[in-house]
Amino acid sequence: MKILVAVKRVIDHNVKIRVKPDHSGVDLTNVKMALNPFCEIAVEQAVRLKEAGLASEVLVVSAGPKAVQEQLRTALALGADRALHIDTEVALESLAVAHLLKAVVEQEQPELVLLGKQAIDSDNNQTGQMLAALGGMPQGTFASALEVEQGQIKVTREIDGGLEILALALPAVITTDLRLNEPRYAKLPDIMKAKKKPLAVTTPDALGVDVSPRLRLKAVEPPPERQGGIKVASVAELVDKLKNVAKVIA
Amino acid sequence: MNFTFNEDDIAFQDAAHRVCAEVLKTNAARYDETREFCRESLDALGELGFWGMNLPEQYGGVDISSIAMSLAVEEIAYHCAATCSSLTAHFLATDSVLIGATEDQKQTLLPQCASGEKLGAFALTEPGAGSNPAEMRTRAVRTSDGWHLTGTKHYITNGAFADFLVVYAKTDPDQGHRGISAFLVDRHTAGLEFSSPEKTLGLRGSHIYEIGFDCVLPLDALMGEEGAGFATAMEVLDRGRVEVAAMSVGISRAARDASLAWSKERIVGGKPLCRHQGIQWMLAEMHAQLEAAKLVTYKAADARDSGQRFSLESAVAKLVASEAAAKVTDAAVQVHGGYGYISDLPIERYYRDARITRIFEGTSEIQKIIIGRAITA
Ligand SMILES: Cc1cc2nc3c(=O)[nH]c(=O)nc-3n(C[C@H](O)[C@H](O)[C@H](O)COP(=O)(O)OP(=O)(O)OC[C@H]3O[C@@H](n4cnc5c(N)ncnc54)[C@H](O)[C@@H]3O)c2cc1C
Repeated sequence: MKILVAVKRVIDHNVKIRVKPDHSGVDLTNVKMALNPFCEIAVEQAVRLKEAGLASEVLVVSAGPKAVQEQLRTALALGADRALHIDTEVALESLAVAHLLKAVVEQEQPELVLLGKQAIDSDNNQTGQMLAALGGMPQGTFASALEVEQGQIKVTREIDGGLEILALALPAVITTDLRLNEPRYAKLPDIMKAKKKPLAVTTPDALGVDVSPRLRLKAVEPPPERQGGIKVASVAELVDKLKNVAKVIA
Repeated sequence: MNFTFNEDDIAFQDAAHRVCAEVLKTNAARYDETREFCRESLDALGELGFWGMNLPEQYGGVDISSIAMSLAVEEIAYHCAATCSSLTAHFLATDSVLIGATEDQKQTLLPQCASGEKLGAFALTEPGAGSNPAEMRTRAVRTSDGWHLTGTKHYITNGAFADFLVVYAKTDPDQGHRGISAFLVDRHTAGLEFSSPEKTLGLRGSHIYEIGFDCVLPLDALMGEEGAGFATAMEVLDRGRVEVAAMSVGISRAARDASLAWSKERIVGGKPLCRHQGIQWMLAEMHAQLEAAKLVTYKAADARDSGQRFSLESAVAKLVASEAAAKVTDAAVQVHGGYGYISDLPIERYYRDARITRIFEGTSEIQKIIIGRAITA
């Protein structure tokens, strides 16, 4: 079984982000970047399937500027076999990424595509779903457990109110939730070996995909500053404030 | 001149950051409070290959640049200086082997040191010989089928936890420092006596011991050539001082970062601390001292890879970075006020941990002697 894992370069989750003064986006200058944590879980899962003898090859793919090769190298150090960089300076929307991934799926014919359920920067939570729809593949999102059985895959999904277990025919698309696994740390010798693993570069053009934006970003606003609390005199006033000021009860 | 790190340097720094921010950070305060040996943190680093950072690939190491290694050491010290000290003591032992041992000895010992299976200790200092190790009194006398080692070493990091020790001893007392040889001593050799760990000011998770020797060693315990021990030790310390500099930078950076964060949050006189000029100047000085320390450290690391002698660069780096760490951690306590003096925050630990960097692997005074001699030669 060949596994394709899509990974995204995002701001490190420890960084306190700052909105640019002109509200055109988040300030990325001198900001530490990292592999999206949910993507890391996807890479880990793919590597575990390979180590268990259930997968033959793990291919990681990322779309973006040259810098995403850093995250591809990280994935290679964690155990992926080869990497594909789709080189573009365009700010990619989920649908564009889904189209790119579909083109890669057609070329590479993986039996399983693993993605993080969402990226911690834009929190869209849609690329996996879009890819499944475009490619006509079954999907299992928010996976907290996976089991590969003869020609199909059993996915435990975290849904509101409990767990749902699906059996998907392969090829399938799975997006990973937090509890699927605990990713390993990269070993220093593996970081060195990763440098020798193949990393191919392609472009949206070469894949025949138009990635021009379809949405217009109007403004990015930081969350409102926390205001100091107030003291209420009575329960009646509290209820009134909750209803009419905080609007958390009807 | 190029002041950017390359891809590999960043990858190694990142790898260190991950494990340190999760594992080492969690254990650091506990080690400090209970004086528990930093075994768990050391082993976490060992599993990932950090014990072999100083060794070439042919001996199981990872062949990384000294810059990358400095960045990793800095990251380790940022989160737990005690673990950093135990690891760099291991490097003193394995550097000794790398520089002074026979090919056979390297092949036998180093791969297990790189993989995290065998921890080393470097035993040079004695109660009567610290700054001037040539005055050591530990003796190794050749017998018909081996060596008889007698004497006392002290302040030996990792001591009782080490699997092997590199012990420096006089084989020919009439020859002065040319009569010093190094020996590879297995931890379980009969005739080794370990004290209980010393009660130290800082680095409480990294134990140091007095060790008494009265033991018989096999012939092949002699590391490399007879009489070459002192030269080996000096070369090892040239390398080690770059690591102490990196460790100092790591502690300083932790203290600077904590002070910046604190000064933005803490409101005094109606505004954040960092908006008071007196505090802002302190922060500026801390930052400038840290930046200067980084530069001399990276320069020494770069020189270490050049293949030329770098005793001067490493002495400068150690002197500047360790003195900076003292100032920066002192200022960090000041910025925090009373909170900096209480062990709920790591600030007072940084202050205590930083103190050793001006002492071990040659005190600041010894660095000045090295620098002074070199520039007036
Ligand atoms: C936590 C810790 C870990 C250590 N780990 C190790 C280890 O793993 N292996 C090991 O071998 N050793 C280790 N040491 C020992 C350490 O390297 C020595 O303590 C250090 O070199 C200083 O030697 P000393 O303590 O004998 O001080 P002394 O040599 O007695 O120095 C006392 C003072 O005199 C000054 N001084 C000495 N000579 C001169 C001079 N010529 N001119 C001007 N001033 C001078 C010194 O700078 C110092 O201020 C460790 C020590 C500590 C505290």
